[in-house]
Amino acid sequence: MAESPGAISCPGTFAKAWAKAVSGTSYLPMTQAQLESLLQRLSGQLAGALLAEPFDLRAGHRVGAELVAAHIASAEGLGRTVEVIQLRLVRDLGLVAEDVEDRMARLLAAVATGYARALRDRTLDEQESIRRAAMMARTHAERALRASEARFRHQATHDPLTGLPNRTLFTERLTAALNEPGRGAQRIGVCFLDLDRFKVVNDTLGHQAGDRLLNTVAERLCQSMGEHLVARLGGDEFVILVERTGGTDDMVGVAEAALAAVRTPALVDGHELQVTASIGIVERQVAGADPSDLMRAADSTLHWAKSAGGARWALYDAERNRRELARYALSAAIPAALERGEFYLDYQPLTSLHDGRLIGVEALVRWRHPELGVLRPDSFIGLAEETGLIVQLGGWVLAEACREAEAWSAGGAEAPFVSVNLAVRQVHRPGLVQEVRALLRQTGLPPQRLQLEITESTMMSTAKEPVRALRVLADLGVRIAIDDFGTGYSNLAYLRDLPVTELKVAGEFVAGLRSPSVGRTDERILASLVSLAHALDLTVTAEGVETAGQAERLRAIGCDAAQGWHFGRPAPADRILARMR
Amino acid sequence: MQRPDWAPDTIDIERPSVARMYDYYLGGSHNFAADRAAAQAMVAAVPEAPLMAQANRAFLRRAVHHLADAGIRQFLDIGSGIPTVGNVHEIAQRIDPRSRIVYVDVDPVAVAHSREILAGNDRTVVVQEDLRRPEKILTHPDVRKLLDLDQPVAVMIVAVLHFVSDDDRPAELLRTLRDALAPGSYLVLSQASDEGRSQDERAEAERVYRRTDNPLWVRNRAELTALFDGFEILDPGVVWVPQWRPDTPESAEDAERAVFMGGVGRLGG
Repeated sequence: MAESPGAISCPGTFAKAWAKAVSGTSYLPMTQAQLESLLQRLSGQLAGALLAEPFDLRAGHRVGAELVAAHIASAEGLGRTVEVIQLRLVRDLGLVAEDVEDRMARLLAAVATGYARALRDRTLDEQESIRRAAMMARTHAERALRASEARFRHQATHDPLTGLPNRTLFTERLTAALNEPGRGAQRIGVCFLDLDRFKVVNDTLGHQAGDRLLNTVAERLCQSMGEHLVARLGGDEFVILVERTGGTDDMVGVAEAALAAVRTPALVDGHELQVTASIGIVERQVAGADPSDLMRAADSTLHWAKSAGGARWALYDAERNRRELARYALSAAIPAALERGEFYLDYQPLTSLHDGRLIGVEALVRWRHPELGVLRPDSFIGLAEETGLIVQLGGWVLAEACREAEAWSAGGAEAPFVSVNLAVRQVHRPGLVQEVRALLRQTGLPPQRLQLEITESTMMSTAKEPVRALRVLADLGVRIAIDDFGTGYSNLAYLRDLPVTELKVAGEFVAGLRSPSVGRTDERILASLVSLAHALDLTVTAEGVETAGQAERLRAIGCDAAQGWHFGRPAPADRILARMR
Repeated sequence: MQRPDWAPDTIDIERPSVARMYDYYLGGSHNFAADRAAAQAMVAAVPEAPLMAQANRAFLRRAVHHLADAGIRQFLDIGSGIPTVGNVHEIAQRIDPRSRIVYVDVDPVAVAHSREILAGNDRTVVVQEDLRRPEKILTHPDVRKLLDLDQPVAVMIVAVLHFVSDDDRPAELLRTLRDALAPGSYLVLSQASDEGRSQDERAEAERVYRRTDNPLWVRNRAELTALFDGFEILDPGVVWVPQWRPDTPESAEDAERAVFMGGVGRLGG
């Protein structure tokens, strides 16, 4: 049965055979029925072309291209198509034409040509598209890599809380500014800023509130500092880098602006917080400046501003810094100096105002420094107290005083006691009682011949332990004196609780006794102190007595003993003792 | 833009890609010399390889057709590869243009290519992710934007699970996906099986795929069936892919030559 050419109808024998021939040659995204229907249509076109007058090659081209477009697009697909058309088209469709063999050859050539052209175009298109995709993917991956590197870099150089540059970035910028003279900046400056009492905010409102406050401060600093780099170094420390300054005035302006920005009350968790800050300013020439040096200077300067009470800026002062460094070096040298035996004691007489007798001596430490010569206590004791080295040094003084004093004899008369200053840290240290007991036992010094001088501030602490220790020592027979009485809080309450033997009245009051007209008030204070002390069974020693007149008035007041240049300057023990004989 | 930590930081087209090898099996030209060399080695070892790919692609077509006819309008195609011909969206959107399809692939070139092909089709999206990180797929903003997980979704994991080793716990990956799906959702699964294959063939195929970033991990029918845990497996079950609802009885002949086994499961409830 012949089919009518060109009609789109149910797939005929030929279309089915064709479909069977090409299926499996490549992936066809359609059902067998869809394939057959497609090939049925193409069969009609082929049949039409075979019979058309004049013969038109373009019909064959079109069929070849359509096959490729329908994804019947493989070498095998073409081969089988040629085969099935050649073998079956004319027969299955019952086609009749004069020169059918000739036409068939030309038709097949046209189909193959159209097919090959389309397949080539398609292959080139696909190659181009996959290359483009590879390129896009590569660009995308590289961009992602750069972005992740940039993000990593950002994380590494910024503070996660405030988003400000961190210490790393700040150091980089500072170093770059100092190392690139090409920038043309002659002078550079930093403001090292620290919030005052920030810990209180954390402790009372919690760390979250503290963090929010830091964020607020960071924002304000950024706004008020404009182009200058603001970095957070950690905690409540910020730093402002001014890469080009005309001099210290510029930096003071920056610092004032920063202080004002911080000072504006901040609303945090419903609390209106007013915080202040301290700033250390360093401003110097770019040439020869070193970044770590500069930051150290800024740090010290910040501490000056802090110790001056905060809420202010301080300007770096090289001379002051040099002095502090020297002091620091001195304190650091104390342990080695103790080992080398560079310390020794001088003694100053404590003289009875009743009979002029030497009743005791105060031990005063001296440092025979190999480079600086003999140093008096005021140049190193304060430092030793700050650093805690006072415990070691004070222990040595106490031991040395006990050792030397034991050897003193007064040629029949009662030998003088030795009075030794105890620092706050020494008194508060557990083990003081054992230390003193062991010393007395080792040296054989009678307890009555040891006097411990403590300051009023020692007793300001509420700790019970020091009081107990002093009471034990007093029970042993050791004398306890309050040094510099009248200059501290002069809280009389502890006099009631403490086993004090003596008050040493500060030299300030005694100084007033030098001129009869001026010293009336001081004299009245002294007289009251003496009568108060006597009422409590305490003796009174006046310090800083420099003239016979002062000594006379003190004696008239009823003061028990005196110390000062009038009675003898500090000197080695043998010289003092020689005077007794 | 965040680079997933598993993604290579450069694109190396000297290294064969399983997605482009698959394109080659299907008769495509979206591949490079290294892909063709590896695919040819595979064909030398397992002559049916092109047939496998075609049979699998035909299974995908029939499965999508079936699910679209069953009313599914959301598809999540994981391991979608190079979008050559007969992609999920072509089938599904022919049935309903409103169908939404998410393509997921780990291969950056496949992803870039898919994006180019799908530019302008706002009901499809391409996501670069890994089947081994289902939670990342499920929470990906592009996925959440296009798919409504409160409505049924067909999850297609076709010809990709054999790149997931047992060490990557395929059962857990599938459970994570399953737990995110609404009742009435479907799972379409197919993968290479070694049933009826010689040790030699298997070893040779594994050797070829060791050259790629995705070594082969074949599974048998029982293992594949177990992965449908929680799904009700539709007839005819887990079968050689040509046997799954064939268009004509003849197309299911010699089905085991297709190497791939697959099935479709429905989430009840």
